[in-house]
Amino acid sequence: MTLQICHLYPDLMDTYGDKGNIITIVKRCQWRGIKTNVTSVTVGQSLKTDRFDIYFFGGGQDHAQFIVGKDLQKKAKGLFRAIESGAVMLSVCGGYQLLQKYFKTKEGNVIKGIGLFDAYTIGSDNRMIQNLLVEIDPELQVEINNVYLSTHMSLREASRRSNLITHQDRHAPLAMTRGIRNLVGFENHSGKTYLGRDVKPLGKVIVGSGNNGEDKTEGAVYQNAFGCYLHGSLLPKNPHFADYLISKALERRYGKVKLKLLDDTLEWETHSSAIQRTRSKG
Amino acid sequence: MDLKLYLAILVGKLLTLVIRLARGGATAAPGLFALYIDPNLVKKLSKKIKNGSIIVSGTNGKTTTARLIFDIVSTQYKVVHNRQGSNLLRGIASTLVQKASFYGLLEEDLAIWEVDEATLAEAIANVSPKVILLGNLMRDQLDRYGEVDSIRNKWKNSLKKLNKSTTLILNADDPGISILSSYHKGPLIFFGVDDNKINLPKIANIADIKHCLKCGSILNYLSQLSAHMGHYSCPNCKLARPQPKVFAKDLIFDTDFSTHAKISINNSPLTIHYHLPGLYNVYNVLAASSVALSLNFNSTVIVEKIKSFTSAFGRFQKIKIKDRNALIFLIKNPAGANEVLRTIALKSKLNILAILNDKIADGKDVSWIWDTNWEILQKKVKTLNVSGIRAWDLATRLKYAGFKLSKNDINKEVNYSIKSSLNKLSNKDTLIILPTYTALLEVQNSLYKLARGIKWQEQ
Repeated sequence: MTLQICHLYPDLMDTYGDKGNIITIVKRCQWRGIKTNVTSVTVGQSLKTDRFDIYFFGGGQDHAQFIVGKDLQKKAKGLFRAIESGAVMLSVCGGYQLLQKYFKTKEGNVIKGIGLFDAYTIGSDNRMIQNLLVEIDPELQVEINNVYLSTHMSLREASRRSNLITHQDRHAPLAMTRGIRNLVGFENHSGKTYLGRDVKPLGKVIVGSGNNGEDKTEGAVYQNAFGCYLHGSLLPKNPHFADYLISKALERRYGKVKLKLLDDTLEWETHSSAIQRTRSKG
Repeated sequence: MDLKLYLAILVGKLLTLVIRLARGGATAAPGLFALYIDPNLVKKLSKKIKNGSIIVSGTNGKTTTARLIFDIVSTQYKVVHNRQGSNLLRGIASTLVQKASFYGLLEEDLAIWEVDEATLAEAIANVSPKVILLGNLMRDQLDRYGEVDSIRNKWKNSLKKLNKSTTLILNADDPGISILSSYHKGPLIFFGVDDNKINLPKIANIADIKHCLKCGSILNYLSQLSAHMGHYSCPNCKLARPQPKVFAKDLIFDTDFSTHAKISINNSPLTIHYHLPGLYNVYNVLAASSVALSLNFNSTVIVEKIKSFTSAFGRFQKIKIKDRNALIFLIKNPAGANEVLRTIALKSKLNILAILNDKIADGKDVSWIWDTNWEILQKKVKTLNVSGIRAWDLATRLKYAGFKLSKNDINKEVNYSIKSSLNKLSNKDTLIILPTYTALLEVQNSLYKLARGIKWQEQ
């Protein structure tokens, strides 16, 4: 089995350490004997959309967003076709914004997006910079748990396992069972995103600002395309979400695949300590 | 009579006394309060410094460069310098208040100010510098500074207002720095590395500049030495790396972390062997040499002082603990950390303790560790320990970089981790400690205690 990964505009949209998401997908496949192939596609290059199972689109500096926004129009049709055919997309921050209808900057300039997500973003004066804790949308939660827990372990087993190894931290098992409902990361954006009717939020904000700091929503989901403001990188400390994306991407090409079990002790410790940090004031 | 100034100095001095009695550093608070009383304090006291002020700014290398400059210029001047690296305006004010007499007079006749990137405009407005050195601009603590582009724009605006008599010293190899020359009408000095290749392991570069800052075309790099620094030119417009006046070539990085080079300061290349590691310190050395050149220092004096320089706090700092050694390299952003990692990768069988904190001074966002090329240390590591507030994040990063870690190697407590990593060493081995900024302070405290003779094996 081979997973074809497309990294969109890695030369321009690579500012916030989001590369960790690609590293995570590649490694978690590698550890299971699944081959991966990462292709960079940037400005002026054509996008062979039927080829890729999973797309990653990260955040970049403001001026890069203008350049990328323009080029993305030429790739819009192909990306729509890919998403409609079940390909997976993970977009973060700037990438997420460009997949929306438009981004109106603070100065009033409008960067046209491609409208994959029925949403828009308005630049604001206050930057939302903090750890961000999200409770995943309930339906998506069920799907993620179906993938992750069926391949990994039952919740009870999970608690028992982490109990054995985390003698230093008695709260870890609890945090972990709770953690399967959450995503945790770090947000750093001044754009406020508002969702339309044809798109669902990725989840509900528990701590932080999320889409706009007003309606408690974070991110967007359309088919298997996900947008969010979670840097960190997101996937390394949210292994349930990483595996969910991998399994969805494989499903399109190979049908339902049962993922091999991995030891995610470190990942879950990271997840729960990041949640603790999010809740602390230090 | 300037009662406001006198009062500000008095309060600043009293505060310094009180804080020092409480064993604090007194590097920020006295200045903060003194500025509250007299907002023009830095402006007024700077005018009393006969030979003016030198500003040193940039993302990486400020502290080391400023200390190198200090060593050189102290041979001829009495220098005031914010040596502890407190580099906001309040840090400058604290230093001045402590050095000034109660009536606002200073014995010192030259000032060296290390200045935070975000404080540059304010510092220029207050100290009216004679020399400004801008070393590099790279992504750093995006939660605090914002993006590289926005800092550069602020710099441009304040350089435009600069006095024509100010000498501007710029890194020729950083396209985001060299371009600033067009905003200044006064004297310029460029410095850079002339080698196309260097004997350090190659790293997957993260570059904040890939496009020409004038016309937007993709830059051509004849050689990319570190991050976006190297020998570049634009295929479309005239932008190209300026030929540096001060340059180094024939670099050889030694496994004992010393460096051999030929350095040309005033048209005459001198061979030099000095005790600082890595390419990043070559840039620090060149930057300091350029400043000294602008003050008409002789190349031989400059080279002598570089040779005898031993590094700054936490930047390649050696501490001996019984029969074991610790070597500290501060890491704080991907470009700096990548340079440190490729430098230590010259050696093998490394014993490493990496410490990641996420306090305000470290940057609260730890995602930069994913832009850092830990993979380069694969097969070079004998023991590996991870610590700090975000130890788990770093441990996960290292796992995905191909390292095997057991839970015993990971502990949030810095003090505990130092002891347990030292315990794993054989005699005469060296522990390489890679702390972020606030972790560095913890490391210093705990090593200091250990070195004073408390038996760490028994603690």
